[in-house]
Amino acid sequence: MSTSPRGIDQSFGLDVGRGYFPADADSHRRDAPRFCPSCAAPLALADGGRGLAVEYWIGADRVFVCYCAACHWSGDIVLAERVMGHEAVE
Amino acid sequence: MLTAEQNDELTDIAPGTPMGELLRRYWYPVAFTRELEEFPVKHARLLGEDWAVYKTASGRYGIMPEACPHRRASMAYGVVESNGLRCPYHGWLFGLDGECLEQPAERDETNFRERVRAKAGLAQELGGLVWGYVGPMPAPELPRFDVFVMDGVRDIGWADLPCNFVQIMENAVDPHHVEFLHGRYFQFVGQQHGFEAPASFAKKHVKVGFDAFEWGIIKRRVVEGATEEDDDWAVGHPLVFPYNMRVGGANIEQMQIRVPIDRTTTRFMLYSVHAPDGIEFPEQPVVPDYNIPVFNEDGRHRTDYVEGQDIMAWVTQGAITDRTVEHLGRSDVGVTMLRRMFKSEMAKVAAGEDPLGTIREPHERIDLPCEKNKFDAGPQFALDFIDMASSRFSPQADALKKLHITAWEGRQKT
Repeated sequence: MSTSPRGIDQSFGLDVGRGYFPADADSHRRDAPRFCPSCAAPLALADGGRGLAVEYWIGADRVFVCYCAACHWSGDIVLAERVMGHEAVE
Repeated sequence: MLTAEQNDELTDIAPGTPMGELLRRYWYPVAFTRELEEFPVKHARLLGEDWAVYKTASGRYGIMPEACPHRRASMAYGVVESNGLRCPYHGWLFGLDGECLEQPAERDETNFRERVRAKAGLAQELGGLVWGYVGPMPAPELPRFDVFVMDGVRDIGWADLPCNFVQIMENAVDPHHVEFLHGRYFQFVGQQHGFEAPASFAKKHVKVGFDAFEWGIIKRRVVEGATEEDDDWAVGHPLVFPYNMRVGGANIEQMQIRVPIDRTTTRFMLYSVHAPDGIEFPEQPVVPDYNIPVFNEDGRHRTDYVEGQDIMAWVTQGAITDRTVEHLGRSDVGVTMLRRMFKSEMAKVAAGEDPLGTIREPHERIDLPCEKNKFDAGPQFALDFIDMASSRFSPQADALKKLHITAWEGRQKT
């Protein structure tokens, strides 16, 4: 079906030439949780782990959606700018 | 946002990589059925490797690596025999299971044949497509999803896209893009080109939700003017893990198929079944397939139809989008859920388990949840769908519209 070039792909690098936010990428690498809160296995591939930490933002809060392949724990870790309590019900 | 290593792992589909091993647990379309009727052997590229797909005179399908184990000539130019595929170069014959059956120029008394088994996969026909499985044996069953077996008029639009399949799958768990890419942007393009974009796509999303289920992720939405009682929320529609999305509405049932051809090429297929109630469907000896346009003559993306807009958004992210510099928000939680699902299923495969969506029991049909009343738009959605989406490029577009109008008129009379 395909007319694409042939051969097994092994040489593609990442499309890093399109990076516009190196400071945020640095912050992500620095702050992403490195160990599973449940079993303490490393999460990052760079640390020999097999887990995952996907970062998203809610206002100033940074949320890391984590998954640990060692114990299958999954949850969100939030770096919160402020801590808010309940507001009184009117 | 991900690290570069995580992005690399998520997108690398080569043999031996975590994603490559996960993806090799599933069946993929590798040819249109009509192609092997026209000529019984052809080349196919799948998961970054090249294959020869063939059909024997007795109607059995086979798939094996394109390079002959002897001197690596292409088996896609092979001779289809009753029991396998013969290399056109020196006549080595390989059975459907990859066993080397003949080496015409070698002496019979050696055991050389036993050293050169080809890594054959399995191939089957279903719904106008030939499906291949190239992973470890025993193979799972080919899933007989509803759209591939239901009655109706079939129609397949397709295009090969220059980007990794994961960024296309992430779009399948991103409901918010609809109101802008297919709503506001469509209106803008229409204003420039002098046509009216369909209003149903522009409805504002009030709420979105995602549920993991046995075949992937069900995506739900409440659009302005609708409620949680409406189909878009109460039923939703699923991302069918790892490479499909089931959509539908107004008597059009569709599987959007995203075949990872290689790391930076994805075959995008829109497998549609037009199945309005109360009408007799015409015979279809051959399921029509047709190319949908990606670019205009000036090299810009063609964005005057729904899927052309999606394709623009997928491809312009880059061949492999750089997730180290993206900025996800709360509205992207479906994307984070999908990445986590890919990761957890990679872990299952590494542990020797079957990943999500593999089925080992023989079955007749797998029904997937899918809304009927799309965007609360009623029957007009079917005509909008044909006029403003990829079906407009179908050789049977006018006949499909007539089918829906006739069925609608019939239903009004009863």
